[in-house]
Amino acid sequence: MVGLSVGEKNFIKGGIAQDLRNDGRKRLTYRPIYVETGVIPQANGSARVKLGETDVIASVKAELGKPRVSHPDQGKVYIYVECSPTAEPSFERRGGDELSTELSIALERSLLGGKSGAGAGINPASLLIKEGKVCWDLYVDCLVISSDGNLLDALGAAIKAALSNTGIPRVQVREAASSDEQADVDVSDEEFLQFDTSGVPVIVTLTKVGRHYIVDATSEEESLMSSAVSISVNRHGMICGLTKRGGAGLDPSVILDMISVAKHVSEQLLNKLDSEIEAAERANEEEP
Amino acid sequence: MEYVNPEGLRLDGRRPMEMRQLRAEIGVVSRADGSASFEMGNTKVIAAVYGPREVQNRSQQMNDQALVRCEYSMANFSTGDRRRKTKGDRRSTEISLVIRQTMEACILTNLMPRSQIDIYVQVLQADGGTRSACINAATLALADAGIPMRDLVTSCSAGYLNSTPLLDLNYLEDSAGGADVTVGILPKLDKVTLLQMDAKLPMDIFENVMQLAVEGCKAVDSYIREILLENTKTLEIHRGV
Amino acid sequence: MASKTGSTPATYSPSPATHKKKRIPIADVDWVRPDSRGFYQCRPAYLRTGAVSPAAGSAYAEFGNTKVIVSVFGPRESKKAMMYSDTGRLNCDVSYTTFATPNRGQGSDKKELSSMLHKALEGAIILESFPKTCVDVFALVLESGGSDLPVVISCASLALADAGILLYDLVASVSVSCVGKNLVIDPVSEEESYNDGSLMITCMPSRNQVTQLIVDGEWSTPKIHDAMELCLGACSKLGEVMRSCLKDVVTDLKE
Repeated sequence: MVGLSVGEKNFIKGGIAQDLRNDGRKRLTYRPIYVETGVIPQANGSARVKLGETDVIASVKAELGKPRVSHPDQGKVYIYVECSPTAEPSFERRGGDELSTELSIALERSLLGGKSGAGAGINPASLLIKEGKVCWDLYVDCLVISSDGNLLDALGAAIKAALSNTGIPRVQVREAASSDEQADVDVSDEEFLQFDTSGVPVIVTLTKVGRHYIVDATSEEESLMSSAVSISVNRHGMICGLTKRGGAGLDPSVILDMISVAKHVSEQLLNKLDSEIEAAERANEEEP
Repeated sequence: MEYVNPEGLRLDGRRPMEMRQLRAEIGVVSRADGSASFEMGNTKVIAAVYGPREVQNRSQQMNDQALVRCEYSMANFSTGDRRRKTKGDRRSTEISLVIRQTMEACILTNLMPRSQIDIYVQVLQADGGTRSACINAATLALADAGIPMRDLVTSCSAGYLNSTPLLDLNYLEDSAGGADVTVGILPKLDKVTLLQMDAKLPMDIFENVMQLAVEGCKAVDSYIREILLENTKTLEIHRGV
Repeated sequence: MASKTGSTPATYSPSPATHKKKRIPIADVDWVRPDSRGFYQCRPAYLRTGAVSPAAGSAYAEFGNTKVIVSVFGPRESKKAMMYSDTGRLNCDVSYTTFATPNRGQGSDKKELSSMLHKALEGAIILESFPKTCVDVFALVLESGGSDLPVVISCASLALADAGILLYDLVASVSVSCVGKNLVIDPVSEEESYNDGSLMITCMPSRNQVTQLIVDGEWSTPKIHDAMELCLGACSKLGEVMRSCLKDVVTDLKE
């Protein structure tokens, strides 16, 4: 994607080996994160996250639906990422589909946990209204407006911020005449339940360039990577998902080392992100 | 349904000749050669321009002028109900074509032969008047990219409900089934480059409504010029002039 | 006309037991796996190369109920011959037959398997050995009995070896599921649908390098450590089985 000359490549690699990156950061430092919530008024919750020049918007919409037959006590969550051609000319028409699918699947894996729903960042049981009949379907739609590397981390942060901004309307279930019919549901327009996002994990992508790992790579650094591992860690230090991207092989001990580095970095990132989200929510409330 | 109540106020409290609030920002996508975001009330649009650059498809290359391409896409969450199919549907194709033809008319394409200019417009929120917001955003983005143009293209829509010409329709007024006239003009040259209408209107009323839309375009034009002037001043400061 | 009631055969009615879906009693500490394997025991593998004659290379793998056939075409002319590239291109496609899953046509949701197969294989193929051309890998899952992607990856690398494409090493792949507190290797589809987490590793045994790692569910670091060790051990054994299969083909040819 980014064309670099041999001299530039060596410059970046040498800098990373000396713990000094192109924009002056250390290897394990994130770019400044800027969070804005409530950007899409017609959605139940939304957020816009800028990580350096990477700009993504996430929106959460809740619709009434029927639970799956195999899991009647859980609601459903769908995550869908779209790459806008404004980010990259090659994304026009179908060009961005491959990247979108990859990102959607990586996010679903990180946030939705195992098949039985255990360990999920978003607890599907909290989306249930009436067992076997009615549940909330959460559609999380993300849009990548501008891409400068590290899309997965920015998307994870945006989804976390959007979820903390989400209000699910309160529902009252009117008892249906027979058990087969669709239960009648009264959706309240006034009252909203805030979503509990303390369990939502944050995604940390570690990119391996040469023999060192860096966090939050820009697109120049990403074009040099041999491989990258995206690890999603939640507040309790549990790993909620792991995806390895990139073709080169990695030693298993290297992967375990990356996991421990990711846990260490994720604590700082979680705290920073939480404080940014709180500041954004407060700014929202102060506005008339 | 009453779109203009007896006191003369519309559904959102505006007067019939009043436009929605405009907000524009230049340089939102750093990777693009030029970009801008434009808001008309609740309609939010981002435009990014990549070019002039080498033509990707050799067969489309033109030896005496630049190739202008445009793509219009709406985000999944842009409308009230979640859209499933966002790209490649007929409305998007039609609007892409309309924007392309409008911008092509005002870009000095003969100054950049054998090259390609891509305009990508992304709708973040749709509340009526998306076509106009897209054209205004594209104009700003082209200006930010430094692409030579004959004049700025500005666009605005107007309609006719409850026997009153209304300026700048929002989604509710647009879906009321009355006429919807979208006009795009080159303000300084005083020429019309885009004129589209839905439904039907008697001739004399049509002239009124079109005149109203042209006034709206001129108001958008003065706002855009202000924004560009501020942007230039900021650039001057950064250069140390 | 008198109806022949006497000889009407009884109509077939499905037995009620087939509709019930039993949840695995995960609270039970010593529950037995459906095919009575040990927790750390993989299914016996049946591997054969040369299953598809018109292809440059092909392989067929049967791991319990999971049956996969992979064919490799290439190196052949790249469709996008306009763009010069000094490394070869790899093109992967994984598809399910309509009868692969218990419910007809369920496999069509598994579109991401193609890109995962691509990522797993691209680290093992020496792409510089066939510039300007491309290699097509087509995998067809005949029956999905659990642990589909690892079987597809192992079978694909066998097919690539059969086609004579230069590889750094064979790629072996194993997955582990976490059901309750137990780690269960090489899960069947029942175990997979109720797991609390799963981990899939693709590695090159003799180089001891991991080309792909996918984890979902909640894991603590020591658990990941154990699971990885378990998988790597299983991968090296699977690698030996794959090698002996290839050697058999050569010794057969010699005779």
